[in-house]
Amino acid sequence: MRLSNVSFRYMRRGPWVLREVELDLRPGEVVEIVGRNGAGKSTLLKLLAGALRPTRGSVVDRPPVVGYAPDAFPTGQPFTVAAYLAAVARIRGVAGPGPWPERLGMTELLDLPLGDLSKGSAHKVGLAQALLASPGLLILDEPFAGLDAQTRAELPVIAGEIAAAGGIVVVSDHQGGLRDLASRRRLSVVDHRLADAPPEAEEARPRLSVVEILVDSAEAPELTAELRARGYDAHLRPAPPPDAPAEADSPTPPDAPTAADATAPATTEVHR
Amino acid sequence: MTATMALVRFKLAAYARSHRLLQPLFALVCMLAIFYGAPTSPGGEPSAYADAAGLLVIVFAWAARSLLDTEPPTQRLISMTSAGGPGREVAAGLAAALMVDAALAAIAVAVPLAHGFVETPSAAVIAQGAALHGLAVLVGIGLGALSSAQIIPSPAASMFALLGGFVGLLLLSITPAGPLLVPIVGWMRAAGDGALGAMLPALALPTVLWSCLAVLLYVRLRRTRP
Repeated sequence: MRLSNVSFRYMRRGPWVLREVELDLRPGEVVEIVGRNGAGKSTLLKLLAGALRPTRGSVVDRPPVVGYAPDAFPTGQPFTVAAYLAAVARIRGVAGPGPWPERLGMTELLDLPLGDLSKGSAHKVGLAQALLASPGLLILDEPFAGLDAQTRAELPVIAGEIAAAGGIVVVSDHQGGLRDLASRRRLSVVDHRLADAPPEAEEARPRLSVVEILVDSAEAPELTAELRARGYDAHLRPAPPPDAPAEADSPTPPDAPTAADATAPATTEVHR
Repeated sequence: MTATMALVRFKLAAYARSHRLLQPLFALVCMLAIFYGAPTSPGGEPSAYADAAGLLVIVFAWAARSLLDTEPPTQRLISMTSAGGPGREVAAGLAAALMVDAALAAIAVAVPLAHGFVETPSAAVIAQGAALHGLAVLVGIGLGALSSAQIIPSPAASMFALLGGFVGLLLLSITPAGPLLVPIVGWMRAAGDGALGAMLPALALPTVLWSCLAVLLYVRLRRTRP
């Protein structure tokens, strides 16, 4: 499959979302596409899937069977999971949902209405419908978002199987879910153009700090739980005795949240 | 079953299960109750059919528009890849709209035969009535498709386009250029003059042409509005 000089914009005089994209995709290849939000990754995936036509340039030799899993599966549809997958199977000309409900850990969801699904469960339905017909081109837009650990572990295996069977797998991923798939090729959408992504080791990693908050022991569990609920990696430990030597080179940055009144020996350590 | 026909079935199922069908169906029942509430005397059937067909264009357009709007945008992307291309998704949507409108038109033709016409008209008159309702379906699909959410995302603007488009069609059809446009009022006049059988081909030709142009424009616009 080849994209030649592909440019795209949604309206005649609108801004270019992608410019002069050149891309060769070979059978058996797993491609990971990275880039900041709004860079054009999802548009590129829709062009690859054939849902959008390039404003300029061409896409040739697309495999006939394409599986596309969107970043957010549309649950506002009047079907149960089983009825939905059966309908997609009929459209794709296959007998039924195959092994995917079991492999994606969603057999217990089959009788539920789509509208009752959680985000992660809906995401599984989106993945299952994309996999129904052994796709020659599998396109996954943020496939790891909201998935449980079992399915997160299974998805790279499935991608590897599709590739081993000669399929092309293209994944847009912010979460590094394919990190363990050594053979993948990484591309980056930057400034509306496609380029080879820098090796992961060279990518900017988030800077981490540790904030120690000294609080009354009675308040410490509640504060720790509250910080955890806000997404922080918070740990509770007893404070050192008042006469113990202070730690040198505190990692607390100047603009970090400061400690509450230090009236009793309990410390909450917060990582982010 | 081909991918396109399976997709048509999926769209029809979604349309029926979402209860969107009830809105145009309710409007159809109300309009038929008004049209045929009083008995139609023998000889008045062609005129009654023509008036009903002309005014039911808005119901057929509404039904087509609401069917095309049933699938969420992301599901349309999934449907495109599942069916094997955007063209099949667009074709399936139009085919499903045609089926729904054809069923509504069949009801509109059959109801006065059971209640409304004092005497059952001849087969020729029934065929003329069916033909006029068929033309109304084509006009309704064109108008409904061009006012659907894929083409006009704003619900208010879409509704304005639907209603304004219908009123515009009616008004234009009474102008001197009316016979060359969609001659809805021409249907009514021809039926009232007893000349519907002779004039039907001349009335059908511009109607079919303009309806096909509207559908082709919709298909063209959908290339950049998946």
